[in-house]
Amino acid sequence: MVKLILFLKKSYLFILFAAIELVALHCYSNSTGYTRARMLTLSNKLVGGAYSGVSGVSDYFHLRRQNRELTEEVTRLRNELAAYQQAPAEEVVKLPVEELNPYVFTSARVVRNSINREDNMFTINKGLRDGVMENMAVLAPSGAMVGYVVSCSDKFSVCMSVLNRGFRASGRFKGSDYFGNLVWNTHDPRTVTLSEIPKYAAIEVGDTIVTTGFSFMFPPGIPVGEVVDYRVSENPALYDVTVRLAADMNTVGNVVLVNYTDANEALDLESSATGR
Amino acid sequence: MYRIVEYTILFIVVLLLQVFVFNNLTVSVYLTPLVYVAFVVLLPMETPPAVTLLTGTLLGVAVDYFMGTAGINTMATAFIAFIRSGLLGLVVGKDLVHDGGIPSPKRIGAGRYWRYAAILIGVHAILFFLLEAMTLRYMLHTLARIVLSGGVTLLLVRLVGLLFESRIIRKRI
Repeated sequence: MVKLILFLKKSYLFILFAAIELVALHCYSNSTGYTRARMLTLSNKLVGGAYSGVSGVSDYFHLRRQNRELTEEVTRLRNELAAYQQAPAEEVVKLPVEELNPYVFTSARVVRNSINREDNMFTINKGLRDGVMENMAVLAPSGAMVGYVVSCSDKFSVCMSVLNRGFRASGRFKGSDYFGNLVWNTHDPRTVTLSEIPKYAAIEVGDTIVTTGFSFMFPPGIPVGEVVDYRVSENPALYDVTVRLAADMNTVGNVVLVNYTDANEALDLESSATGR
Repeated sequence: MYRIVEYTILFIVVLLLQVFVFNNLTVSVYLTPLVYVAFVVLLPMETPPAVTLLTGTLLGVAVDYFMGTAGINTMATAFIAFIRSGLLGLVVGKDLVHDGGIPSPKRIGAGRYWRYAAILIGVHAILFFLLEAMTLRYMLHTLARIVLSGGVTLLLVRLVGLLFESRIIRKRI
């Protein structure tokens, strides 16, 4: 007994240390991208307002560029609108907005972002009370893919960045049907890899990659980026294509959220079809 | 324990710096300064090992909470907090450690300080980035992150140290 007490007295520090490490290791190994996002959502309740303040200051440095991007986008949309207005009136069928378009767009501002982690997430300044929901797509003002919402609190939402090993989306070549998974290789915040493209696909540097409509997060045809390089993958019958992202993840400030209003109906249908 | 107020302020300041400034750096994938370890580096040399371990763990947990890293920071920080007193004895020498005070180049000599800080911060960076990567596949890539982020952290920690020391000296006068 005395020996036991002496032993504990001598090595209590090591036992304490080992216990701390084991508990932390247990938490880490059991965590997923989703639980980490939940954790960030919780901490946002505490410091989300302060993040907004800090990013409000640093945003000033990007105002010039952001204004230019927004003006370019407005110009593009005006051109598109002018084309519709040219059409004879009887050809334009007036439908309520929701019926016409299953995708509803809203805007938000990024208040916290990172590119230097292996699993990057970012936080936007809108949450449940603004109608933001999990799985909404997040796009740059130019319309390029940036990420999707993973977890929401009342005023903030944590989003999965394209630059995250847990990011799940697929991309295809614009103008052909070849598609593959988009993965980030953690090396370069400007590029992602489009994997498993069959070798007989005619790939050219400069080809545009857009999203497929397979997921219920991203509408089909959202620009992802441009092909800058391709090489034979581990499976010699396939190519891995390096895609330069159309969105600049370093300086993403304003974002557009997309709500696919038919997603629930489609998901319900899928689960009822496969559920039995 | 003395200077509890000063060290509480240091704890809060390095935590705020980490959460609001260095966690939001979007300069390079290789640059993740983990400045909060300054607290562990700057604790008085005579701090009881148990106090170092517990405060270091608390800091790690706090950073994990704000970074959404679920335990990596806790593991890395608890580890360096645990080896700190042994490392001080080895690098700085029992006599100087016994005299106590903040480990600074002035007090323990520039060579000893940089060796001590580099080992502590280096071990922390190695643990952090290996745990984050959880793979040895991109070893060179991970190594670059360790060296660059660790080096920048080392310089930033010295800067925090300078500010902290000047504050304490001013208070004494």
